[in-house]
Amino acid sequence: MRVLTVDDSRTILAMLHHTLTNAGFEVLQAENGQVGLDMLGREDVDVVITDINMPVMDGIEFIKQVRATGKHQSLPILILTTETSQDKRDQGRAAGGTGWIVKPFDPEKLISVINKVVH
Amino acid sequence: MSDLDEFKATYFDECSELLLELEEQFSAIQEGDRDSERLNAVFRAIHSIKGGGGAFGFDGLVKFAHSFETLLDYVRDGKVELSEDVIVLCIRSIDIVADFVGAARTGDALAASYGAVEKAQFDALARGQSAGAASTDDEPMDDFDIDFTPVAVNLERELPMASTAPATDGMTRWTIGFTPFPTLYERANDPLLLFRELGMLGTMTVTPRLKPMPKLADFDPFGVYCAWDIELVSDRASADTIREVFEFVDGDCAITIEMHEGSAPAAIALDDDDLPSFAALAEMAKAERKFIATGDADDMGAGADLSALLDDTKAEAAAPAPLHLVAEAAPAPATAANRDRSTDAPEDSASSGRPVGMQSIRVDLDKVDRVVNMVGELVITQSMLTQQMDDAIRDRYQELVRGIEVLAQTTRGLQDAVMAIRAQPVKSVFSRMPRLVRELASKTGKKIKLETIGENTEIDKTVIEQLSDPLTHMVRNSADHGIESPEKRVSRGKPEVGTVRLSAEQAGGNILIIVEDDGGGINRDRVLEIARERGVVGPDQQMTDEQIDNLIFAPGFSTASEVSDISGRGVGMDVVLSNIKKIGGSVHVRSWTGKGTRMTLRLPLTLAVLDVMLVKVAGSPYVIPLSSIVETIQNSRADFGHMPSGGKVLQVRGEYVQVVDLATRFEMTTDQAEDSRFVVLCEAEGNSKIALVVDDIIGQQQVVIKSLEENFERIDGIAGGTILGDGNVALIVDVQSLKSGTAHQTAA
Amino acid sequence: MEALGIRDDYSDGTAASQNTLQLIAFSIDEQIYGVEITTVREIRAWNGATPLPNTREYVRGVINLRGTIVPIFDLRARFGDGKTNPTKNHVVVVMSVGDKWIGILVDAVSDILTVSKDDIHTVPEGNSVDTELLNGIVTHDGRMVGLIDLAAVVSGAKTDA
Repeated sequence: MRVLTVDDSRTILAMLHHTLTNAGFEVLQAENGQVGLDMLGREDVDVVITDINMPVMDGIEFIKQVRATGKHQSLPILILTTETSQDKRDQGRAAGGTGWIVKPFDPEKLISVINKVVH
Repeated sequence: MSDLDEFKATYFDECSELLLELEEQFSAIQEGDRDSERLNAVFRAIHSIKGGGGAFGFDGLVKFAHSFETLLDYVRDGKVELSEDVIVLCIRSIDIVADFVGAARTGDALAASYGAVEKAQFDALARGQSAGAASTDDEPMDDFDIDFTPVAVNLERELPMASTAPATDGMTRWTIGFTPFPTLYERANDPLLLFRELGMLGTMTVTPRLKPMPKLADFDPFGVYCAWDIELVSDRASADTIREVFEFVDGDCAITIEMHEGSAPAAIALDDDDLPSFAALAEMAKAERKFIATGDADDMGAGADLSALLDDTKAEAAAPAPLHLVAEAAPAPATAANRDRSTDAPEDSASSGRPVGMQSIRVDLDKVDRVVNMVGELVITQSMLTQQMDDAIRDRYQELVRGIEVLAQTTRGLQDAVMAIRAQPVKSVFSRMPRLVRELASKTGKKIKLETIGENTEIDKTVIEQLSDPLTHMVRNSADHGIESPEKRVSRGKPEVGTVRLSAEQAGGNILIIVEDDGGGINRDRVLEIARERGVVGPDQQMTDEQIDNLIFAPGFSTASEVSDISGRGVGMDVVLSNIKKIGGSVHVRSWTGKGTRMTLRLPLTLAVLDVMLVKVAGSPYVIPLSSIVETIQNSRADFGHMPSGGKVLQVRGEYVQVVDLATRFEMTTDQAEDSRFVVLCEAEGNSKIALVVDDIIGQQQVVIKSLEENFERIDGIAGGTILGDGNVALIVDVQSLKSGTAHQTAA
Repeated sequence: MEALGIRDDYSDGTAASQNTLQLIAFSIDEQIYGVEITTVREIRAWNGATPLPNTREYVRGVINLRGTIVPIFDLRARFGDGKTNPTKNHVVVVMSVGDKWIGILVDAVSDILTVSKDDIHTVPEGNSVDTELLNGIVTHDGRMVGLIDLAAVVSGAKTDA
């Protein structure tokens, strides 16, 4: 099972990497939406976890672009956010986000949310 | 290091970068640049600091950052005006965030009220602009108290519904109606997964409600052709836990939840033959997806099968399996094979053989240093080869010569490329200065503007690391001693606000870093007076203005009692000099009375490779940095004079220069005839010269500097070691420390 | 040190049981000394060293060990018995002490000894040089082997300075 993690924070990427590899996932990393999008062009992944606030290409645009490519219409995308302001999450969902994960996350919670959206 | 410590280290690294970014962005904003991308960048930076801080439980930091972020969000949305006051508040707050981060790093506690004033200002600003939406202000931590509760997952993946045992007491029967909207599929949610999750709550029966199916040509893969009724028998489900299952599809489907009192019969409708199998539907869904995803020939085939299936409702209806989701419901997130692989290489996803795909990579400086050192050796070996080619060889082995020439070119290219890896913009040091100047200004009541020029100039990382302390001292000195009070400046006809300008530029093989101020200049009478008092200068010694200016770097000139609280902390400018010398640089100061002072740092581009003259003393090889050599003279032609102490001086172009015989100085004996030895005239700091006497001069070459301290200790008069082409170690002469009187003070 | 291609896990291959020590034994004049085998990184023939100025007599200079500069201590001189007059037959034992690598100049390397920790005797009080530089004394085949305290050999160079 491969997870693409997209976040401009190295701390968060490192923590995701640790938690997910420990749970047996293979983890790909991208530091912004553009890099993530490029990666999806080359790599097959089972689920994407993305931050919203990122330079170059933010999470909302990233999700929109992913959904715009026919190949990834059924790819689960989880929005990683500390934003409670419902609007960010809603924007993410409107763009095509499958679900969300709230930072700071604990490892079990993270895995259980992933299991909610992937086979 | 534990995982947590490692994450923290990453986090603090990241914070340092983000704080620099904040500093930079705000200084541009302060200068009037209101590019919205700048605001986005500062928002993101604070957001990231907060996010990571939350993960480690740095509450003070998180609370402060949250208020900061909230304000920035309002500013970004135009709800709060970015006035001068707000900018000043933000800049001050960066310092506070930096202090919070610093305290978190060291584990120190800050005063509980630290940053409270600024935080209150943020909250007030935000409140003023968000009437009716004040909740964020009252409960700043609400980000982390989100109403999201993870669904309890049985990690053993024992599915209660695996058994169709009759319900026992305490069971509740639920009927759930679930009608997805197209948006549910557009967001890649999957009813199957929802059922799987629901199934973890109890024993479940799923009944589809099929709508009329279109022909394949009209079939919309994301269309909704099916809804479901679910019967759930559970001892732990509640309306809330059921709703939670559908959390991600809230708004993307219609849900009805009904509870039926009393215990329920198990496995209702298990033998209802009229229903199509769920498994068949799932297969169908998969086939559709595949078809959409690739559209290649095989999948067209699958699509065709699908159409047969769709056209023949009987085929569906005849599908025998009842609605047990057991087998499909719970694939573990990791297969056993996956786990095995991850144990083999637990930390390294790259080991899977696929690119991780970062566009940049982070490499330990140690590793780069190793490459730099080896390339240095390569450069030296190559130049050695080149030197050994005489005309006879050139004539005889033309191919070999050509090969060596190509090797020379490639080696140089490699050297440049490797050095570029280690080069970093001086920005990382420069950007620490605005805060320093702000603090100095507020402490001294002066008005000071800091200008920076050329902050993208790149220098070797090791040089940059050594630059921070000296530069801090110099900027402090300019702001503290250079710039006058506003009143004094006005009375002198100068602008009230003083300017400190920090600039960097590359000049040949050197980097020049200049700290200038438009203050009062050095008070030469006072400097000379202090220098005489402290015995730095003899009572009758005459000095030029320039020499007096440079006395501020003399060891013993400044003392703790004399320097101010801000500039000093007990160390004076002589520390600047010794730090800069340590990295092979020099410092020079010029001052104009009443107009200002300019301090110039000259630094080598790299520390790794040094051009040297190879000499011999008492049979051992020594090297002297070419940059400090003025000229060489054979002893027999040198004009020596003898001093009462028994020492010698060299007269050269009307100047008398102290002579140091390296053999004597290094307590070795030489049998070389005095007349056949050489004088190497060197220039130390501040134009002072020293004449070193050596036995023989072998030639010039490049060497890679090696540390003696790595495995041993510092040796007086020696700056380090190097390895010659023949594999022997040569010692690098520390010209500066050989100047009498400084020999035991300079650290190399 | 990894760059030197020498791994630190010697003990994996040579691990003796908990209660024994493996020593590299070497001689100065007729006396045998030993250091724990796990500290030894390399044994090489004497091939000269670049003398260091302004340092103590028993520091013979520095050598190039695959790109790293390593100091060489003359153990005879360190014991106060005068400088060794080294020939090609003399041996430098390169060892790691803390995070530093050093070499000691000895007359010859004789053997690898396995001794029991229980057989280690304390150094009799009396001569401060002995107690400073030896960790203990052990008997092997009826001969006395002095266990060198490497940290003392090196740090002595500093305290004397």
